[in-house]
Amino acid sequence: MTTASNLLAFLGLVVTLLIVWRQSWPARLRLFAAQSLLLAALASTVGVLAQRRGLLWVAAVVVVVKGLVIPRVLARIGAGAPVRPIAPGRSSGITLLVAGGLVVAAYVIMLPVTSSVELPTEGAIPLAFAMALIGLALCVTGRDALGHILGFLVFENGIFGLAILATYGLPGIVEAGVFLDVLVIVLIMEAVVVQVRREHDSIDVDRLRELRG
Amino acid sequence: MMLAAVLAIPLVGSLLLWRAVGRLATALHAMTAALTLAGALAVAVTVNRGEPLAAFDGFLRADALSAWMIALIGIVSALAASEAPRYVAHAPGRFYPLFHLFVFTMLLAVSTDDVGLMWVAVEGTTLASVFLVNFERTRASLEASYKYLLICSVGIAIAFLGTVLVYFAGIQQFGDEVHALRWTTLLRLAPGLSPRVIELAFVFLVVGYGTKAGLAPMHTWLPDAHSEAPAPVSALMSGVLLSVGVYAILRFKPAVDAAAGPRFARGILLALGVLSVAVAAAFLWTSPNYKRMLAYSSVEHIGLVCLGLGFGGTLGTSGALLHIANHALAKSTGFLISGRIRAAYGSAEIADVGGLMRSMPRTGAAFLAAMLALGGLPPFGLFVSEVMIFGAGFAQGFPAVAGVSLVLLVIAFAGLLRGVHAILYGPPVRELPEEASGWRSALPVTAALALLVLTGLAWPPGLADVLDRIVAIVVP
Repeated sequence: MTTASNLLAFLGLVVTLLIVWRQSWPARLRLFAAQSLLLAALASTVGVLAQRRGLLWVAAVVVVVKGLVIPRVLARIGAGAPVRPIAPGRSSGITLLVAGGLVVAAYVIMLPVTSSVELPTEGAIPLAFAMALIGLALCVTGRDALGHILGFLVFENGIFGLAILATYGLPGIVEAGVFLDVLVIVLIMEAVVVQVRREHDSIDVDRLRELRG
Repeated sequence: MMLAAVLAIPLVGSLLLWRAVGRLATALHAMTAALTLAGALAVAVTVNRGEPLAAFDGFLRADALSAWMIALIGIVSALAASEAPRYVAHAPGRFYPLFHLFVFTMLLAVSTDDVGLMWVAVEGTTLASVFLVNFERTRASLEASYKYLLICSVGIAIAFLGTVLVYFAGIQQFGDEVHALRWTTLLRLAPGLSPRVIELAFVFLVVGYGTKAGLAPMHTWLPDAHSEAPAPVSALMSGVLLSVGVYAILRFKPAVDAAAGPRFARGILLALGVLSVAVAAAFLWTSPNYKRMLAYSSVEHIGLVCLGLGFGGTLGTSGALLHIANHALAKSTGFLISGRIRAAYGSAEIADVGGLMRSMPRTGAAFLAAMLALGGLPPFGLFVSEVMIFGAGFAQGFPAVAGVSLVLLVIAFAGLLRGVHAILYGPPVRELPEEASGWRSALPVTAALALLVLTGLAWPPGLADVLDRIVAIVVP
């Protein structure tokens, strides 16, 4: 179990770093879908090895909601946006460096958790948290609505991975609430973005600058 | 049963309202609001007469603290509902159902024993209200709702992380405890939980739910959403939604105190409290818009509540709880009146509104009363609760924190007064048509102000007992 969970969480982190690195929107979207599938694999591995049936259901829902539905909605939101943001001279070097720093930070912050227990999955917990932190950074520094949503979803994936690794699955009602929540947020985002586009003829939320002070 | 009924009323009302149109919608809306109020008050009375109410195998549970919040949500939502028909004539179908759904999610958040479900419900408050913020569909309200959705979603995801860690600590220590996410179980297990993990969890919980509560520095969504939403929604958000965020933090505090000692939570709450009051004091001086001014005043008051909870003890905690109630009444009144002013002048900029006392004397007087109440002047209840909070600060041995906050409070008050003076007594901007009169438009506001005077001058019998019961829950 240790090997499998470490490997899957590590792959998840690699995909997260690739999302940071890539600039083209369709590529980032595919990477997000891949990350969600890795999460589903993680859930089902832990589910089988720790004999938690519930996690298999969770894995199935992850595949459907985050692997299929949400990427499709995101693709709809992104339709018509430029494939890559026009930002001359902006390289991913610095952001990747920051992401590396966040991985270290994740290990430090999660020390109380990993040192308090002997879990076969404990080695992977900081990796999942690093995914969450990088997602948060993406969300905060995102330049347009797509960047914000993608960052938020990566953040959410990281937290969800951490929940699976640390607790082997939460009570059903909470899991259901989380999925419903993510789905509704993405749908609402779509509605909002559609309106932003109609108002401003762009999804560049930098143009939302009326409220100050 | 009664508890389930209180939750069912706004939910059913909301579902019916999706289909209703015209007069029927208004009538149904009024009926739902009235029944919600009646049910909420009935729950509050029942709980305070006897034992906590429970339903669905303890899944829903209302103790004295929940009952306090349920009563507040009932009262403020009735106040807000009474003003709603003025704003929604052109599109009731986009407003009434979401309004009652919003009330339902807030009621659910405070009446469940399961901290996981509480999390789901608090997240639900954001989802239900985001389209209410964008009700007027202007560019500014669109921006406000985008910011609101994004910041609060991130915040609430952080709170989810905190909840996961609490659950993790519970099952690590005690194996597969079936109800490890139940608050009652959590409180029982708390002394044995790993203090380091619980501390980490509390940091995430405070940042997460603190975002919903509008604590600085996570408050940035608040002035936008509060100022762009229609007045009844601002009243609900500022009056009770912020307090629901505080309530969520408050639920975890006794468990954290038991696991990690009281110093940890106290330090965090005091720091955020002072910072919130400071941020509000600065922005109350610079805000050019009176609805934003009211929004920053909310940041200030939520900061004060946090200070009271941080100082702790019987005095500080009951002061904070009373302050939640007083602020809910005063701020919702303030927003409702500012909505009328905005409707009359067509602008929320202070510079566009002048000489209100001359052109709308009744509205002006009510606005002045609400603002003086928010400034913490007697005879209004906020004076009493602020005295309790700061009294607790000095009594518990935090004279420096209490002193600094008092100075900031005075600065904030002066800023508020400056804006109010410009609105009420500035040079009249233009002639206005006769203001609406009649008892029906005056009743809700007058009732709220009267309640505030009541908590300020003469506590109704039983209020002290109720506060004691809640304090016994929060500071075991």
